[in-house]
Amino acid sequence: MKVSISTLKKYYSDKQVLDIDNLCIEKGKITGLIGPNGSGKTTLLRIISGLDSDFTGTIKYDGSLLDEGIYKKMTLVTQKPYLFKRKVYENIEYPLKVRKVNKAVRKKKVEEIMYRFEIQDLRNKKGHLLSGGESQKVSLARALIFEPELLLLDEPTSNIDPVSIKIMEREILNFNRETKGTVLIVTHNIEQAKRLCHRIIRLDCGRVVE
Amino acid sequence: MVISIDYIAQGFKEAINLLISFDKEIYEIIFLSLFVSTSATIIASLIFIPMGIHLGIKDFKGKKAFSRILYTFMSIPSVVVGLLVAILLSRRGPLGHFDLMYTPKAMIIAQTLLVTPLILGLTYSLGKNRGKEIQKIGITLGAGKFDIIILIIRELKIDLIVNVVTAFSRAISEVGAVMIVGGNIKNRTRVITTAISMMNSMGEYPMAIALGLVLLIISFGINSLIYTYSGED
Repeated sequence: MKVSISTLKKYYSDKQVLDIDNLCIEKGKITGLIGPNGSGKTTLLRIISGLDSDFTGTIKYDGSLLDEGIYKKMTLVTQKPYLFKRKVYENIEYPLKVRKVNKAVRKKKVEEIMYRFEIQDLRNKKGHLLSGGESQKVSLARALIFEPELLLLDEPTSNIDPVSIKIMEREILNFNRETKGTVLIVTHNIEQAKRLCHRIIRLDCGRVVE
Repeated sequence: MVISIDYIAQGFKEAINLLISFDKEIYEIIFLSLFVSTSATIIASLIFIPMGIHLGIKDFKGKKAFSRILYTFMSIPSVVVGLLVAILLSRRGPLGHFDLMYTPKAMIIAQTLLVTPLILGLTYSLGKNRGKEIQKIGITLGAGKFDIIILIIRELKIDLIVNVVTAFSRAISEVGAVMIVGGNIKNRTRVITTAISMMNSMGEYPMAIALGLVLLIISFGINSLIYTYSGED
């Protein structure tokens, strides 16, 4: 999914936090969003994901404005993910369930993604009782299971161990390669951005400084 | 002083005897109380829990004013509710032709109205404070509006159970509304609270104490239930 942003402005009280004239997130590519704290990265992600509609300007998704159909084609993984108070298996299964995917297909896909993320041992643990790193892995698995056309990631690998980071980066790359899904990832880690991204955008004081 | 303590002790003894001998009148009163209050709580919960969640997570014009009015109604006196229902159901009232006055159905209607603001208000507050975060996650995972309501109810089920039990406690312990619309008729509309009130004015303390003990046992059971569920969370 291609995302085109034009004349986007966002204010918190009187303070301007985003001022973007034109920005295009290319279809099928991994785009990195870097910049200092408070530069507007997370706010931009929230706006693109539709969670924040209090802004001026236009955002188009493959040429269309945001509607319920587009909501269903994208997802956002946050730095501190919220996992449901149910088993990890059910957490990962949820996006398929709301899309009315057949039970047998759901089972096959959940098993497969749990294997790929090496989290089979977490299957019966309650989501809200997991550690921060485990939650981030489960959260990414839950986002990837329905193969979104647009994957928005807000520092998905912060505070987790190097082995888990390697697994998550591998799965983000695999997802992009296999499904041609668009990825927009916010990261503070410039090395990670170089490893993953086709293009890196730098935000400073709400403006794009490429 | 010794005489009065003996008198109270005698009352307790007779009360225990009435309970363990399965006195028919006492158990009819207990079952009717449980039936009326449980029915009212279930009816109000089924309708107003989803509505409370929906209103809590939705932004609409006048939400602040709505909150204030709703929270005010949460403490509405039971006699006012009883009076309102009596006016509606009395023979000359707009719903008089249903002939419901002085029946258990009228008592259920009155208690449903009494606990509705409580269930709606507590659920609305829960939705407003914690439901929005869950709603956002639901949206990012592709859930529709109905899926989101179900998701929030599931995620907040422990808090919702506590709300429902709080409403049930209010229903079973109130006396004003059921007294007005039920009339405290023997073998028909007499419930624990109206019976205690009547026995007290008649000086029949053993029966009043026995029913008071039952109310305490119900209250203890409810609190234990909440404690168990909260502990599991």
